[in-house]
This record gives sequence, structure tokens and C-alpha cells, in this order.
Amino acid sequence: MVALSSGAIAAEPDPVTRGEYLVNAADCVGCHTDVDHHGKPYAGGRPLATPFGTFYSPNITPELETGIGRWSEAQFLHALRDGVRADGANLFPVFPYPSYTGITDTDAVAIKAYLFAQPTVRQPNRAHDVPFPLSWRWLQTPWKWLFFTPGPFRPAPDRDAVWNRGAYLVTAVAHCGECHTPRNWFGAMEMSRFLAGNPHGPDGKPVPNITPDPNSGIGNWSEEDIIGVLTDGHTPEFDFVGGAMAEVVKSTSRLTDADRRAIAVYLRAVPAKPSATKR
Amino acid sequence: MRTSFRALAIGAALAIGAAGSIAALAADKEQVVKEREALMKKQGADLGAVKGYLDEKNDLAKATAGADDLVQTMKKIPDVFPQGTAGGDPDGKYAAKPEIWSDWQEFLAIRDTAAQKAEALVAAVKTGDKANIQTAFADLGKNGCGACHGKFREELKK
Repeated sequence: MVALSSGAIAAEPDPVTRGEYLVNAADCVGCHTDVDHHGKPYAGGRPLATPFGTFYSPNITPELETGIGRWSEAQFLHALRDGVRADGANLFPVFPYPSYTGITDTDAVAIKAYLFAQPTVRQPNRAHDVPFPLSWRWLQTPWKWLFFTPGPFRPAPDRDAVWNRGAYLVTAVAHCGECHTPRNWFGAMEMSRFLAGNPHGPDGKPVPNITPDPNSGIGNWSEEDIIGVLTDGHTPEFDFVGGAMAEVVKSTSRLTDADRRAIAVYLRAVPAKPSATKR
Repeated sequence: MRTSFRALAIGAALAIGAAGSIAALAADKEQVVKEREALMKKQGADLGAVKGYLDEKNDLAKATAGADDLVQTMKKIPDVFPQGTAGGDPDGKYAAKPEIWSDWQEFLAIRDTAAQKAEALVAAVKTGDKANIQTAFADLGKNGCGACHGKFREELKK
């Protein structure tokens, strides 16, 4: 779909190269690599602390026994976009499939092509540290009935190509909402307060409101200000973001200028939602 | 008797001195945190002067002054992180994590990286070329300032 694709990237004939751009934008390596223990890229094992327990990311290298090397294209797409593992078990939504569900077929296939071109690493997955009964994967089935709307992303016909590209990146690929949206008791994103910040974000850290609310959000930020933070992490006061957002900037700094602008355009048009914290 | 009286006197002096210096330390810590925040804000302003040149809001001279000042303030960073000053202004946004002192060598290494990138920014500003300056600015921000903030700065819950 031309409207969804950033010109130069869409024209790239090699799926692995297209996939490389998308895998950077989705920052798969961030969650799927245990950086603190010098883990190999995409081999998993990184802990993510949530109110439901600590989850350990799986090995997504194409290794045949401990990675996803035996997965077919259909199985990969089903996992990425519907939260179902190759063996049929549900994935937990700590894996942001509720956002990735919007990713297009072409992009999903390119993501798989890039991942399957990475070096194999033999590393068995570590079991999640989640208390019973939250560890029951079949409970995710009713969770999905209640809280999961499968994709694909549908461009809004009354908006222009730039807004739609921004919407696709923010809601699907870059999955900003997964950190920046508050969650309900069941751990699902409260979409009525999309991007309004989460005081109890990943690893227990507060995540800011990035709706255009002038008091608690980024309503006073210009389009250039938003592009600035995505380019190199600087805020309008020339502070430099730290924590988890510094990690995000590693990937947003490698997007095209056009894609960063599209994200800024989309964010400035999101409904403003006030939240408790003041900027 | 004289010896033990002297020992008592010395002991008392030490105790008074210690109590005094604990009080002084507490006041010192507040002072250090203030100095620290002022230094960081100054660095922000200096970076703003460089970006201002890129955005045609100020001239190259202001950008040059900013970049030069950054190199100087980078040298002062270890001085505003003395032992015992973890945390921050409780009403403020940020706090210094205790890992700064348990991983002091890593803290210094990141500071050294940031200092090098500040020097590189000065060199880029000298050329006046905006593309060079933007690259050096982004490199310093992400891999200098951002690297330290990523590892060693805590956001305070409000």
C-alpha cells in the first residue's frame, strides 16, 4: 500500500533490507537481547518487570531447536499479529502483538526475512516468573476476546498520506502506545486514553503523556520539537532523555526524516488527554 | 590522668567535629545537588546555542561560545558527583542513581566519551557547516548526554 510506505523504503527490492529498516523501527533487538549480561542479539533472555510478574523474552534467532528457525511464514505472521505461538499456545501481551497486529503483510514478511538472515544462537528460553494462575496461557484467550482487536491497520480516507504514515508507525510498528498508554487491571491498554502516559510503566518507571495536552502532555511542543527528540533525544529545554526513552531514540534516530516528521504530525493530532502529572 | 584527659579531649573534639561535619555534609549535599542541576541547565543552554545556529535563531559566535563552554563544564562533572550525594532535589524531576558510585569507573568512562564528543562539537562548529554540526550535536546528545542519563539518572515519580 503506497500510502503506508515511506517512498524509498517501499521501493527497496530486497526484503531483507526492507526488513532491516522495519526491525529497527520496531526495535525487536531491544527486548529480545539480554544486554545487561552481554547476550547475543535476538537470542532473548531480557527480563521485563510488569505488575503481573517478570517476563523473559524468547530467542527469535533462526536457530532450529531453541529459536524460531522451524517456523513457517504463516506461523511467524500469526505470532507477530495475533499473539499465537507456532505450537498454538497464546503469547502474553508483554509481546506487543496488540500493536503489531496492524503491520501489513508485506512489512511482516520483510521483518521475518531480516530476522531469518541473522546469526543463529543456541539459547533455550527462560521460563517467565509469573505467578499462577496468570501463567496459564489459555487465560489469554478470554483476555483476547475482551481486549484484543486484530488488525490490519486501515488508513483514514479523510487524512493525508503523511498523517496515515505517522499513524501506522505510532500505532503499529513503533508501538509507542505500549509504553505511553495507561493500562487497566487486566494489563490491557486503555485506548480511550491513548498515549496519555502510564505512571506504572515497564520496570516500574513512569512514562510521560505524549498527547497534545498543554499542562500534562506535549501540547507546547512544536512539530520540530517532536522531531528533535526522535532525532537525538533532546527536549525543547535541551535536556536529553534518559531511561527507556534513550533506548527508543537509538532506533528513532535511524528512521528517515520523512518518517520522523510523519510521527510528529500524527502525534500533534492525537486527542489531548490531561493526566495527573504535570510536565 | 593527663593522658586520659587528653584522650577525652581529643575524643570530644572529634565527636563535635564529626557531628559538625555531618551537619555540614547534609547542607553540603543540598548545595552539591543545586550546583549539579545548575551545571546541567547550563549545558542545556549551551546546546541550545548550538542548535540555535542550526535553526538560524542566533549567530555562529554564540554557538561557538556555547560549544567552548560545554568542553569546560564537562571537566567539572565528576566534581558535582561526590560520594554520598545520590538522589536529588525531592521536588525536582530527576535523581542521581547510587550506581554512579558503585560503577564509578563506568560513570567516568561515559563522561570521558561525552567530553570527547563535546570537543568534536567544537571542531564541527569551527567549520560553520550545518551538516557537520548537526551530526556532532546528535552524536553528543545521544551517545554522550543520553548515555549517562540512560544508565545513571532516575526519573522521580510525581
